[in-house]
Amino acid sequence: MWIEKFQIKKTNKIAALYPITKLWLTAFYILGTLIVSTIRIHKLPLLLLPWFCSLFIFASCSGIRKKFFKSIKKAAFVAIIIFLVQAFIVPGGEVLFRFGILRICSTGLITGTNLSLLILNIAGIFVWLFQTTEYKEISRALEDNGLNYKACFLFLSTMQMIELLGRNSRIILNAQKARGVETEGNVLIRAKAFIPSMVPLVLGAIISSEDRVLTLESKGFDVNCKKTHILNVEKTGNEKWAICIGIGILLFLLIGRIVLWIQ
Amino acid sequence: MDTIIEFKNVTYQYPLTKIPAIKNISFQMEKGKLYGVIGGNGAGKTTLCALIRGFAPSFFKGELQGEIFIDKKNIKQYQNGELSLKIGYVFQNPFNQISGVKDSVFEEVAYGLENFGVPMAEIEERVVSIMKKTDILSLAEKNPFDLSGGQQQRVALASILVLEPDILVIDEPTSQLDPEGTESVFRVIKAMKEMKKTVILVEHKVDLLAEYADEILVLKGGELIRKGKNQEVLTDISLMEEGVLLPQMAILGNMIVQSGRKLQEIPITQKQAERIFSQF
Repeated sequence: MWIEKFQIKKTNKIAALYPITKLWLTAFYILGTLIVSTIRIHKLPLLLLPWFCSLFIFASCSGIRKKFFKSIKKAAFVAIIIFLVQAFIVPGGEVLFRFGILRICSTGLITGTNLSLLILNIAGIFVWLFQTTEYKEISRALEDNGLNYKACFLFLSTMQMIELLGRNSRIILNAQKARGVETEGNVLIRAKAFIPSMVPLVLGAIISSEDRVLTLESKGFDVNCKKTHILNVEKTGNEKWAICIGIGILLFLLIGRIVLWIQ
Repeated sequence: MDTIIEFKNVTYQYPLTKIPAIKNISFQMEKGKLYGVIGGNGAGKTTLCALIRGFAPSFFKGELQGEIFIDKKNIKQYQNGELSLKIGYVFQNPFNQISGVKDSVFEEVAYGLENFGVPMAEIEERVVSIMKKTDILSLAEKNPFDLSGGQQQRVALASILVLEPDILVIDEPTSQLDPEGTESVFRVIKAMKEMKKTVILVEHKVDLLAEYADEILVLKGGELIRKGKNQEVLTDISLMEEGVLLPQMAILGNMIVQSGRKLQEIPITQKQAERIFSQF
């Protein structure tokens, strides 16, 4: 059976959860992050660090430990940059550190820590979501749950287009390299090569969109009938448990936060 | 004559343009034949294809005069999607014909059938069958974007052929392909002809048209300047003055005739040339 070959099979129980359930879990985690970020130790949202560590455990339990760690390193790099920029730029409060013209004020430290840890946590849960769920699974599940197929197509093609544009930009850069344009070296050289490559990339994408629309029309995209789907996304039966646990943790955090306020 | 496409005094003008892209064209096309469409740049070949498929004026807008009949029914009377099943359309650029939402060739080919709500078992049967015919079954699990131009064009052809249209409009399918890719695409076109499909093929490679087409339509500046059997049209040396390139064998044959020698007929294919020139 050919169609069987194109079904997505997962052995890990968390990774195999229904995509909508995983979207809910993502939402719960983001809400949890926002609640945890309000708990301050020395005015800093330091509890976001152990909260982030729990995400590592969650990713490990989902069977994506190595992949997750690899991707989160990039997110961590961005978070560190944001922290440094905020810490050095935002003025106000006590000056905690001074080195020549550079200084870190307490307000900058608080803003930088808060922002970078929030970004790290939110990026982390999305990394988990997309490493355990393929775009087409999400799109299919959304369509099953009543979202218009055109909106699902838009979501899926946008996600795939990011990959495609990346691929095309590499082709354009290679072509420029073959013509003697310097594309490797420091940030400035790379930026100089990157900007001219954007024009053919964007223009090419716009020009090809007409053909793509007509291709879709030729393939009956606009036909008003019940569509068939090769890909089946089914519930595993563990979804209710996952939602209950998610809500439980969220309630625990919410009650904990209220208790701390009252005290 | 079993007419499947009929144009009656068709004139079409794109929006914001002053000159019609197609000027007062009338012709009939028969079921099961392969029609080659030739002409220089801006002759109106792609517009003609868009009119046959109904993209013009429904998608491109603009002004259409005259009448177009597909299978004896006015094209305006076709419902949304009906034409997708009746007429398949394959574009010049194979890369732009990949839907972008499927990550295997099998799923890409099956996409049209999914849109029409064809049952799963039938999808599998039809997709496997057409992939065999177009010689892409071995690529079934590959990502369509990882394929070569020729392979992508065959995937594009298979994606349309799987819908089993009666008419197939193919607009310069080999313009971006190497000789090997061109040959593989023409093998598929030949298979379509054997399946008794009506094929309208826009192609600059006249040598290939000489071999595969039954009839040729020559366009110039939006006008249909010639329509006839390939042997008649592709041997007419006067067409070269209109900017139409004839097959190499036809040029050679004409040169021999002009030099005073007599030929049974002017050849248009290599096989014919071998037979005719063997008399010398």
